[in-house]
Amino acid sequence: MKKAFEVKDKAILDAAELVLAGIKAVGADEGETWVSRSILTELYYELGKISMVRTVFSDKVSIKLLKDKRKGTVNLNSFDPADIKQAVVDAWQAAQSAAPDEAEGIAELQDNASFSSGEKTPDLDLIYQQLTDLLADTRQDFPKISFDSIGIEHNYSERLYANTNGVRLSEDQGLYQLSNMFMAKDGDLTSSFNYFATIYDDPAERVTDSDRVRRVLDETQRQIVTEQIEGSFVGDLVITPGCLENILWYVGDTYLQDGAMISGTSPWKDKLGEQVASPLVNFSLVAEHPELPAASNLSGDGYVAENMPLIEDGVLKNFSLSRYGAAKTGLKRSANSGGTLVLGNGETPLEELIAGVEKGILLGRFSGGEPSPAGDLSGVAKNSFLIENGKVTKPLSEVMIAGNLGDMLRDIVAVSQECENSGYWLLPWIRVKGVTISGK
Amino acid sequence: MLQDHLHDYVLKHGFTGYTELRAQQNSNRAVAMLNGSLVSNSSGVSRGVSARVVKGGAYGFASSTGYGADVEAIAQIVRAASQNASFLDRHVQRGQPDFASVQPFSRTDGLEHDVPVEQSYLLGMVDELDSYIAERFPKLLSRRVFARVLNMEKLLYTSDGVVSHSFVPRSNVYIFMTTQDQDGQPVELYKVLGGYGNFPEKFKHAEDYFEKLEKQYELLMKKAEGVYAKPGIQTVILDSDLAGILAHEAVGHTVEADFVQTGSVGGPMFGKQVASDKVSLVDIAHTAFGELAPVPVFVDDEGTPAQDQMLIENGILTGYMHNKESARKFGHSPNGNARAYEFSDEPLIRMRNTCILPGTDKLEDMIASVEDGYFMTDMNNGQADSTGEFMFGVPMGYEIKNGKLGRAIKDTTVSGVAFDILKTADMVSDTVTWTNSGMCGKKQMIPVGMGGPAIKVKINVGGRA
Repeated sequence: MKKAFEVKDKAILDAAELVLAGIKAVGADEGETWVSRSILTELYYELGKISMVRTVFSDKVSIKLLKDKRKGTVNLNSFDPADIKQAVVDAWQAAQSAAPDEAEGIAELQDNASFSSGEKTPDLDLIYQQLTDLLADTRQDFPKISFDSIGIEHNYSERLYANTNGVRLSEDQGLYQLSNMFMAKDGDLTSSFNYFATIYDDPAERVTDSDRVRRVLDETQRQIVTEQIEGSFVGDLVITPGCLENILWYVGDTYLQDGAMISGTSPWKDKLGEQVASPLVNFSLVAEHPELPAASNLSGDGYVAENMPLIEDGVLKNFSLSRYGAAKTGLKRSANSGGTLVLGNGETPLEELIAGVEKGILLGRFSGGEPSPAGDLSGVAKNSFLIENGKVTKPLSEVMIAGNLGDMLRDIVAVSQECENSGYWLLPWIRVKGVTISGK
Repeated sequence: MLQDHLHDYVLKHGFTGYTELRAQQNSNRAVAMLNGSLVSNSSGVSRGVSARVVKGGAYGFASSTGYGADVEAIAQIVRAASQNASFLDRHVQRGQPDFASVQPFSRTDGLEHDVPVEQSYLLGMVDELDSYIAERFPKLLSRRVFARVLNMEKLLYTSDGVVSHSFVPRSNVYIFMTTQDQDGQPVELYKVLGGYGNFPEKFKHAEDYFEKLEKQYELLMKKAEGVYAKPGIQTVILDSDLAGILAHEAVGHTVEADFVQTGSVGGPMFGKQVASDKVSLVDIAHTAFGELAPVPVFVDDEGTPAQDQMLIENGILTGYMHNKESARKFGHSPNGNARAYEFSDEPLIRMRNTCILPGTDKLEDMIASVEDGYFMTDMNNGQADSTGEFMFGVPMGYEIKNGKLGRAIKDTTVSGVAFDILKTADMVSDTVTWTNSGMCGKKQMIPVGMGGPAIKVKINVGGRA
């Protein structure tokens, strides 16, 4: 929720003002700081038992200053004035030796604002109950599932961005996060490991009420005995939402973000406004979404964040660039910090989407190498099933897939009506044609 | 250097029940140049104190930034950890006894490496390397040079009377070069330099590395003219870097005792043949082949003195990596594998320096023995599974035709089931090399060393049909 600028914990504001005063005192032209204070509370399960309660109190300060466009950056985790003063001096010294870069700068003056969401203090008993419910529900409904670990944590953080242009933006956010790793077991037989991560704001909700959670547990339970396929073929991939998240991160890294764009290796560097993907693709980064509590209202470089389309109807609308990356490439900076992904759902019911596959794979998880700068990627299809004549048939192991990310986006032939939601992404199933699939 | 305020706390308050008290400082530096632009010029310190208390088998952990002389602040963290343990103990009532105590000891390791390093030194080194690349190889599509420093200092006191103060420095420079192939597609190759030691020790003069840059460029040019590997099962010689990551990803994770208890394939295979008898695998604690290993651990974060852990001996799975709790459960001895990354992290069962031991074959004889296959020389990442199935990325390699190296290959991936692959290992070279830039992820990150000789195996290659 947006409101007038305020910082609840005065120590945060004091630390930020000390940084800015230090930046001016050493003679820098301009500078900025992020200051945060957080408390993390975690309940952890491993090896068949709830094993640990963990509390982490954390203060963080990051400082960037510029002198004649020469940059120095220092991070520390102390609000102690002596430590802060020393850190500013260290940043100043680092800047002295740096080469100047005209693209460097800080956020321009804008309206100060604050945002607030979630609970400050976790209810540890409620977290305990949620975890024991998850274990009990899983034992009852998915008895072959064995959790390696489950962590439920609550993180409350108040953070402030301040710079020498007078910008002051703050955000306090309390969120719960559930992460885990599990497999299915039957005697000595074991499935591949799998996981689901969820960010949410209400620990009273039962985890196994989620269709997504039930699907992932169910599919893993059906993967204890897998089969291999002989030889290679070119077929279709049906990519599940959780796996699609992984693929979209690769897309960001290879085509859209600072590294690939500044270096000029992005195959899309000159494609703004052009068709880069199937017309079925609508991909955006969001700063505010009613179903995604993890979305952040602040961008990483000191602006109030806004939703931003990357690809609309297959046409490249924006890159995902920092302020620096934008200045370096002459393009627009990203309107948000890029952590929350939405790929718009399509018109094909999932059942129909799968029914259209003559031969291919339902890809549950991709374990692969980093894509090459050209977007080539290959890896192992994990937690996956063979699709034959429109039906999901046997669970697979030791199957590799290889293709090119850009080609895959262009070769999307269907997007499901159904979506899944992790709290930090909202994604459908997609079907991609023409991918090399190889077995033994 | 961390000041020892924990000693003051222990003198004043002592310990009540099983407790590990740790102050830690991770210092890092990063300098990155992208096509000559300085995109990163940062340094940072993450410092704090943590306590872990165990009551009846229930663990309570607490940590805070702001480690200093204030003994009361340290006491608050110990109390918070104790309260967390009590909360859990009340709920779970496990009723387990404390761990058997170890003999008290006190030691320091590596503190002499804690010397001041100026950011300007890193900047100068990166600039010199970058300038050399720009001048010598003007046709590159892009170039990136990163310098990274991660120094981890830990001061540990345990209720058993163990006191350990250690400093482990790591300094690396990463060189990425990108060119275009005949189709105009970008082709990249990167190399990592450096390893254990502080930055000025590892990188005395930029010119010491010019020859490696020339070699890297030459390899990149070969790769740009390279071909896609054929998909499917192939005879492959995995050079040291790949053997090392195979040891880590494919085998190491399956024999971490926590993973074994959850159901990894390492469980039922204990005492059985899991590799050819030419394969022996060990997780080195701190010293190997007469030298310090890449990530030396002398005392782990539970206060256990670290020793080598044999995992596979002549093809037989003979050991697991443990923390105190899993060692007690299995009736084994803990050998120092409980490691934490940040002050705010609890110790987990982690590898240190996994290494396949050298064999007796010469690399050239191994290549000569392959009629149709590949020699893969570099790796870029890897993942493993509970089933023993693994993959890793291969950014550089060559065809082998009739016993001779042929064309270079483009990026590919290899995969397989670890124990199946290792059973096909019929030749193992006589030379081990280490990599020391790896970070392993498992709830937390942790630096690890990986090493091995070249091994010849049959493995699935994710090429293009």
